[in-house]
Amino acid sequence: MDAQGEETFTAGLITALPIGLGYFPIAFAFGVAATGAGFSGWEAAALSVIIYAGASQFLALALLTSGAALPVAAFTLIAMNLRHVLYGPALMKAAGEGAGKRHAWAWAWGLTDEVFGAALGEIARGKRFSEAGMFGLGLLPYAAWVGGTVAGALAGGGALDGWPVLEAGLSFLLPALFLALLLSILTRPQMPVIAVAGLACVGGTMAVSATAGILGGMVAGALAGVVRRGRG
Amino acid sequence: MRWEVLALALIVGAANWGFRYLPIRFGLGSGAEGGMLGRFLASVGPAAIATLFVASSLPFVAGGAVLAPGLGTAAVVAVWLWRRSVVLATLAGAVAYAAGVALAG
Repeated sequence: MDAQGEETFTAGLITALPIGLGYFPIAFAFGVAATGAGFSGWEAAALSVIIYAGASQFLALALLTSGAALPVAAFTLIAMNLRHVLYGPALMKAAGEGAGKRHAWAWAWGLTDEVFGAALGEIARGKRFSEAGMFGLGLLPYAAWVGGTVAGALAGGGALDGWPVLEAGLSFLLPALFLALLLSILTRPQMPVIAVAGLACVGGTMAVSATAGILGGMVAGALAGVVRRGRG
Repeated sequence: MRWEVLALALIVGAANWGFRYLPIRFGLGSGAEGGMLGRFLASVGPAAIATLFVASSLPFVAGGAVLAPGLGTAAVVAVWLWRRSVVLATLAGAVAYAAGVALAG
């Protein structure tokens, strides 16, 4: 099944392992924060199962506890996740002509920032896109996210207080993952895109907010790619 | 469960699912090879990964610590160059960062 370098379900699961390891403690922290803010364990779990987007879930806690109107809270959270619109088309373009999307209604749910990056990394390393691989890539992080939330809600506050070194190591998993992914796709022609995206992210974060920095970095970097290739 | 929590989750969750699936379902960007949209989409991946690396690293830089982030970053690069494995490089980075925290603490 793997003879032609196709990403299998099992290979997807293995590739997703660091994502799951990174998600669990973040989700755990979310579960702790939710119950600390007065949400029930069921409510915390529902937010993770139904929304499945880390930063906006933490913001949801703040908005709901501050008494924000439902339409305002919904609009704010939806705007935060608008960047995900770009992931599917970019992934399918990298996957090439004829890439399967019959079951995309299911596996696309797992297309988070990290899963998108990992999928692109696999394609860049020569693995052929497959829907089975996407299910493998998406399943473990989602399970870790929901499981971490439930564990955090059950544990309550201060559960990792006695393990500061472990907590620190877990906190570094996501930047380490993104750096490894960046190294896996790094080529000389991509350098301007990467540099512009990084600088725009720093500028947007310092000038406006972390969300603006992320969206601005992605758009500015992609536009740099348009200009560079247009000249080429 | 309070209705406003469930309602907010359903509204935002439905939007997230739409953002992730509908552009694939309707082939947004397909047939755009060579055009501006095609070039834009081809650059979204590297731009997104670079952006998310910077965004996730900024809190560590802002924290002022040097040893632990330096060890973690060096370990990711070294293991990547050695084994070309994203999984091993990521785990090595986390272990090295934790070691750096323990040494600095």
